[in-house]
Amino acid sequence: MIVFKTYLKIINKRKWPIILYTVLLIVFGSITISTSDDNINFVASKPDVLIVNNDDSALTRSLVNYLEENTNIIDTVKLDNVDDALFYREVNYVIYIPSDFETAFMNDDNPSITVKGSGDYYASFGEIILNRYLTVANTYLRLGYDKEDIISNTESVLSNKVDVSLINETDTTTLAKVTYYYNFTNYSILAGLIYAISIVMFSFNKKMICYRTEISSLNKTKYNSYLLLSNGAFALLLWFFYVLLSFIMLGSVMFSISGLLYMINSFFFVFFALTLALLLGKLKLDKNAVGGIINVIALGSSFLCGAFVPAAYLPDMVLKIAHVLPSYYFINNNELIKDIVTFDFGSLLPFVINILIMIGFSVIVILLTNGIGKKNVNTNE
Amino acid sequence: MNYVIEVEHLTKKYKSFKAIDDLSFKVKKGEILGLLGPNGSGKSTTINCLLALLNFKQGHIKIFGKEMKQDAYDIKQDIGVVFQDVAVFDELTVYENIDYFGGLYIKDKNLRKTYINEALDLVSLKDFAKFYPKQLSGGLIRRLNIACGIVHKPKLIFLDEPTVAVDPQSRNNILNGIRKLRDDGATIIYTTHYMEEAEMICDNIVILDKGNIIAEGSSDELKKLAKIEEKVIVEIMNFDDKYLKMIGKLKNVVDVTYASSILTVKYNKGQNNLVTFIEYLKENKIEYFKIYSERPTLNDVFLEITGKELRD
Repeated sequence: MIVFKTYLKIINKRKWPIILYTVLLIVFGSITISTSDDNINFVASKPDVLIVNNDDSALTRSLVNYLEENTNIIDTVKLDNVDDALFYREVNYVIYIPSDFETAFMNDDNPSITVKGSGDYYASFGEIILNRYLTVANTYLRLGYDKEDIISNTESVLSNKVDVSLINETDTTTLAKVTYYYNFTNYSILAGLIYAISIVMFSFNKKMICYRTEISSLNKTKYNSYLLLSNGAFALLLWFFYVLLSFIMLGSVMFSISGLLYMINSFFFVFFALTLALLLGKLKLDKNAVGGIINVIALGSSFLCGAFVPAAYLPDMVLKIAHVLPSYYFINNNELIKDIVTFDFGSLLPFVINILIMIGFSVIVILLTNGIGKKNVNTNE
Repeated sequence: MNYVIEVEHLTKKYKSFKAIDDLSFKVKKGEILGLLGPNGSGKSTTINCLLALLNFKQGHIKIFGKEMKQDAYDIKQDIGVVFQDVAVFDELTVYENIDYFGGLYIKDKNLRKTYINEALDLVSLKDFAKFYPKQLSGGLIRRLNIACGIVHKPKLIFLDEPTVAVDPQSRNNILNGIRKLRDDGATIIYTTHYMEEAEMICDNIVILDKGNIIAEGSSDELKKLAKIEEKVIVEIMNFDDKYLKMIGKLKNVVDVTYASSILTVKYNKGQNNLVTFIEYLKENKIEYFKIYSERPTLNDVFLEITGKELRD
């Protein structure tokens, strides 16, 4: 108990850097939340199309009717000014239907319709609508239907409406915010947790303190267990606090399966940070150097792995280097969670693999720490 | 005889180098044993072996009649150690530091509180209980170091150079504290570089050199080992070196040196050496400022036995 009490006292004396890193997290999280628009609305839009129909036939009338239903027909543009109109986006797509189009179509002469587009996605949309009609009509022509049947069947097929319902009600905007928040915890956890634990362990691992403890009547195994439990408890407490903060700042989304996955992911990352902190605490470093080393680790991995700048914007070379850092897998998992639509084995497998990699990193660090511990014992012998 | 420590044929090797070579000694209950020796003589290695901080392959160490091992927690309960290097937490106050190290031995919070206050009294640090180590002077930190080592009232205390680099006031305070601990029944192993301290407080002294005991006994017994019985010390300015040979040939004189305006004449026996030498100075019209005689010190014994000063 005295070990745990003393551990907390020392943590308390070193609380300010931890508070600073937490404040940074809150500030960054708040900025992210306030700058993101909660209500992104989508409005259905149609391309502006000019039709120059030189074939007054049943087929072309049917085509024009279909185009009228699905586009905004522009009839105010003079044919001499078509290019200017396209340039100024007064019209997005111009369709020239040649004379005798119907006859040529029915004779399977592959008549061509001349088109002009403004080059933007509205023009592409217009082209899709035109192609859709012609493809369906052409299908019926190939099947040997006569003109009336081709027209009626094409109109019938194209008038079919399909009801679409979302099977997943994932709020991607909010999940993006959660991802930003948890990505930033990469910095807060590494900087805060490693700083606190390595500094405390630095005090407990001072040679003379170790000697004094070793010659005491407190069982060595018990003492090490108390220290380990103290570290674990502190790491757990910090993790819980950061998770709680995410509930407060981000709200109900944290009660979803995605929220649970973010928590699990951060838990394993905190575990890794704990092992790294214990390793740093074992090294015979100068106390003042610890702060610098921690900043290099926390800031370096945050920049390299996309905690501050999304990984998509980082050069390939940087991302390749980032693969050797556990932060990469932590942040990668956060991004994965954001994009998961259905929670099944296939979609969760990459998440689990990333978790296993983080555990692997932790095991390596634990082995290193034990190696250093044994080396120190050998030095005493 | 009730021995607190029994060391038999202890040998500690670092690869081929023997840091301790077939060392045997015993420490009686309630005595202060001075462990003296120049740097590298094996003092620290001996203490570390006694505390089971170091492994050894030859010999036996018994403390309180039981074999000392790393997991001998029942023995460790009654041992206190004050290391030469200060071992305290910078982040804890004086009180909290003593509380922590006491807590490694004593679970009872109330008992610990009583013991902490007694330890603070012993080293006169009560007024500094809420101070942090960084706020303390070198002497006060050493006192804190002692309080942390003895707070649990151990029956056997190891004090490794507890007075190094402390002011005279703190030194007196520490030495008084050590005497009080002994008076309260503790057995103390005391290592120091200060011979006068060893003479003042040690009941018995063991002198180590190159991992061996080269002399042991009480301060008076050790002094008898010295060839000289008396030293005459004279402060003289501009002493002519031609007299050195002449003085060296005087009766009972075994050694004569002149350095830094101090002439030291050592006699192996005889009475009235001081009077005789004053007459000699008068006869030769040698002017001096001050002259006095003293018995050989432990430092002289050490110098004679080991061929070097304790601080070498």
